[in-house]
Amino acid sequence: MDVALSANGKRVLRIFFGLLVVFLYAPIAILLIFSFNNSELPTFPLSGFTLHWYHQFLTNADLKGALETSAVVAALSSVGAVLLGGLAAAALARKRFAPKAAVSALLLSPLVIPYVVFGISLLLFFHAAGIPRSILTVAIGHIVISLPYTILVLVPRLDQIDVALEEAAADLGASPLQTFRLIVLPLILPAVVSAFLIAFTTSFDEYALASFVVGTRITFPVYLYSALRFPSQLPQVIAVAVVVMVLSLIVVVSAEIGRRVAERRLSL
Amino acid sequence: MAVEGEAGVPAVSASGRRRTRLDLTAPALLGFPVVWLVAFFLVPIAIVAAYSFDIYSLFPGKHGFTLAAWRAFLHSSVYLGLFWKSVKMSLIVSAVVVALAYPVAYYLALSGTKRKYVLLLVLIAPFLTSYLLRVLAWKVILGNEGVLNSFLVWVGVRSRDHPISQLLYSRFAVMLVLTYVWVPFVALPIFVSLESLDRRLLEAACDLGASRWQAFRRVTLPLSLPGVMAGFLFVFIPTVGEFVTPSLVGGTSGYMYGNQISDLFSTGFPDWETGSVLALFLLAVVAVLTAAFARFLQVRQVTAH
Repeated sequence: MDVALSANGKRVLRIFFGLLVVFLYAPIAILLIFSFNNSELPTFPLSGFTLHWYHQFLTNADLKGALETSAVVAALSSVGAVLLGGLAAAALARKRFAPKAAVSALLLSPLVIPYVVFGISLLLFFHAAGIPRSILTVAIGHIVISLPYTILVLVPRLDQIDVALEEAAADLGASPLQTFRLIVLPLILPAVVSAFLIAFTTSFDEYALASFVVGTRITFPVYLYSALRFPSQLPQVIAVAVVVMVLSLIVVVSAEIGRRVAERRLSL
Repeated sequence: MAVEGEAGVPAVSASGRRRTRLDLTAPALLGFPVVWLVAFFLVPIAIVAAYSFDIYSLFPGKHGFTLAAWRAFLHSSVYLGLFWKSVKMSLIVSAVVVALAYPVAYYLALSGTKRKYVLLLVLIAPFLTSYLLRVLAWKVILGNEGVLNSFLVWVGVRSRDHPISQLLYSRFAVMLVLTYVWVPFVALPIFVSLESLDRRLLEAACDLGASRWQAFRRVTLPLSLPGVMAGFLFVFIPTVGEFVTPSLVGGTSGYMYGNQISDLFSTGFPDWETGSVLALFLLAVVAVLTAAFARFLQVRQVTAH
């Protein structure tokens, strides 16, 4: 006898799982359908197939500018977050120091701060410091919120690696930098890549914080939010939504599969 | 190196020895990340506190330490009422999300399906796409002239003049969208806690005469509670201060505490002192919750060393 589930229970839960997946994907599917719908309004009945909305957003200069800005901010902040997160993860996984509990609490605390609170905090901070709002102020904030994620990805991976490898390298005369470059980095590379992708997508998608500290060059989510107020822009926003969602799904899923494959190959 | 010439020593004791030695490079490694967080995280919050006590002020003029804004807040039925409304909405959303995610996590972890990690990825993938765009999808679906209403008109269930008007711009819409957004994420901690469950405990329970339901209630459920608590908090903490979803689909009846904070800083009539008080109050509530339930939040693997 299966102690966890009866045959009927299994059937019921399988149906429930199916319904939940429908609930999760139906809105995305609806966006997909209406992105090809030849009408200003997203309403039934469908009024024919068109690529007009895709064509319209491809020629929309404001939108392209916002996408570029977001790409720059996401690149800056993900590199920054991975560098800072890597240093912090190395200390947390390899070193012993007195206030470790307090330091890790500080490093992880951005995970739980409400973004509206952090947003206004940064707004008041930049105001008080006389720093004008720009893509840099957004990137600074995004590094803070991405940092804990990079640490949470990197520390478990560092834990899996046998410290004896690093010690052997040192015994054989490698400098700490050489040990890192030749031994540690190749072993943690899959985790570094996934930390980078998490930070990049977090930043690329982030609206709440950016809405407070963005300058005149607006990011993609800020552009989207403002476009949502104009019904005439809705169809092309839907088309953009489909492209962004499909791309991010592909990136995220292939990154996850890639990381698993790579780590299995590197497993010691 | 302290462990030189001890190649035969098992890795565990080598790393153990390494870890017991006080290392002077820890401050060097932690310097940049800690300074970054102090400068761009703690100091900004301190400035909010300074505004809330009127040490700083948006408008020039004389000001000094005063509790006036705090006193006004604590006596204001409007702000506190809005806070309780947000807490209630957020509690309901968290409970519904956990109730939806638990059976699914249970199915994946305990039904013995071979493709559980593939199915888990299917479940989580929507969470990894754009938040704003998932909210947008519901705006398109729920509007008076949206997908759902036009569909009902099309198939003849409703007449064009009488759409279901309470769908969008309501408290219901906010809670529906928040539930939609958070379900995939919460399945994860519950799945992890069920996955690590020792099945022999269930077999023992059944051998001792427990029915499946009794075994679930007395063994599985209590052992999965840490995952349930973590999931609940993972939803409650970000949603109680939510302002993006209510501003897009909430209208006036779905207006939340987070919207009030945002509006006090961005409308034509900014009130940074009051806004700072509201923000710090929310931050304090979240901080207390986090500290009280830290052991459920599953960050032990980082802090345990």
